[in-house]
Amino acid sequence: MGEPSQDERYHQAAAEYGAALERLARAYEFDPDRRRDLLQEIHLALWRSFALFDGRCSARTWVYRVAHNTAVSYGIGRRRSGDRNLVSLEEVELTLGDRDGDEAAGRRHVLARLTELIQSLKPLDRQVILSYLEGMDASAIGEITGLAAGNVATKIHRIKTVLAKRFSQGADYAE
Amino acid sequence: MPNEPQNELGEAWRNQPGENITMPLEEIRRRAGKFQRRIRWRNAREYAAVAIVVIIFGFYLKWFPNPVARAGSVMIIAGALYVAYQLHRRGSSEAMPAGGAFEPCLGFHRRALERQRDALASVWSWYLGPMIPGLAVFLVGSAVATPIPLPYLVLVTVMRAAVVGTVFWLVAKLNHGAARKLQAQIDELKALEQ
Repeated sequence: MGEPSQDERYHQAAAEYGAALERLARAYEFDPDRRRDLLQEIHLALWRSFALFDGRCSARTWVYRVAHNTAVSYGIGRRRSGDRNLVSLEEVELTLGDRDGDEAAGRRHVLARLTELIQSLKPLDRQVILSYLEGMDASAIGEITGLAAGNVATKIHRIKTVLAKRFSQGADYAE
Repeated sequence: MPNEPQNELGEAWRNQPGENITMPLEEIRRRAGKFQRRIRWRNAREYAAVAIVVIIFGFYLKWFPNPVARAGSVMIIAGALYVAYQLHRRGSSEAMPAGGAFEPCLGFHRRALERQRDALASVWSWYLGPMIPGLAVFLVGSAVATPIPLPYLVLVTVMRAAVVGTVFWLVAKLNHGAARKLQAQIDELKALEQ
C-alpha cells in the first residue's frame, strides 16, 4: 500500500483530532460565529498543509502546529482592527490572590472561567496551557511550540500554580 | 497524581461537549476557491487605486503645458506603479496561510511579526519615498505655470510642500511606532527560543 493521499491524511486527522480542534478554536475565539469561522479556517489550512506533509514530525504535532499557527494568524488579522490586551502567564500569576478559587468558583462555571483565562493569554502561553490541558507532556509541548525544554518546564510550573490557585476549591465541572 | 485539581481540570477540558463540526471535502475545496477569489479581489482593489492615480496624472500629462509638471506626472505614475508592485509582492507572501504553518508555533509567530515589522519600519523606502520625487517635481512645475508674483508663488509652494510633508511624516511616525511595539514582542519570543 502506498502513502496516504492528501485527502486521506486530512480525513484521518479530522476524525482523530476534530474534537480537540474544536476546543482549540474555543480557546482562541469567544464569539460563536467567529469561532466557527476560525474552525473552518483551521480545517482548510490542515487540508492544504497535508499536500506538504513529509513525515518530519508526527501527525499530531503537525496538526497542532497548523491549528495554532492558523489561529494566531487569524487573531493577528483581527487585532489589526482593534482588540483587547493579552497577558502572559507571569502576569496572571502575579495578580493571583489566595482566595481566587473558592470565591469565584461559586459564581461562574469552572469551564467558562478556564476558557476565559486561556483566551486572555498571549498566543504562546495559550498554546502551552492548551497543550497541557490536552494531556501532552513537556517534550510534545516543546515540539509543537518550538520552546526550549527549560522554558516549557517553567511555563508548566506556572500553569500548575495558576490553575491550582484559581480552581482549587468548590469546582463544579458539570456542564 | 490524578487528584490534583489541574488534572481534573484537564479531564474536564477534554470531556467538554463539542458541536462535532465537520467539513466535507467539497466544502473545503469551495472555501479554498473562495480564498483565492478573495486574494484576487484584494489585488483588483490595489490595481484600481493605481489606475485612478494613472488616469489623474495621465490627464495632467496630456493637458499641462509645463514640461516640469508633466515630468512630475510621469514620475508620480512611476512611483504609484512601484508602490503597487511592492504591495502586491508583500501581500503575496501572506496569501498562503498553509505555507509554513507546519513550523513550530514560536518561529512561525516570530516570522509573521518580523514581516509586519519590516513592512512598517521600511515604509519610507517602499511606500512614501517613491512618491516624493514626483510630487516635488509636480509641485514646482505647477507653481512655475501659475501666473502670480514670485513671493506668493514661493509661499504657496512652500505651504503645499509643508502639508504633504506633514502628512508623510505622520504616516511614517505611526508606522515606526507600530514597528517598535512589534519589536518588543519579537524580542520576547526570541528570548524563549534560546
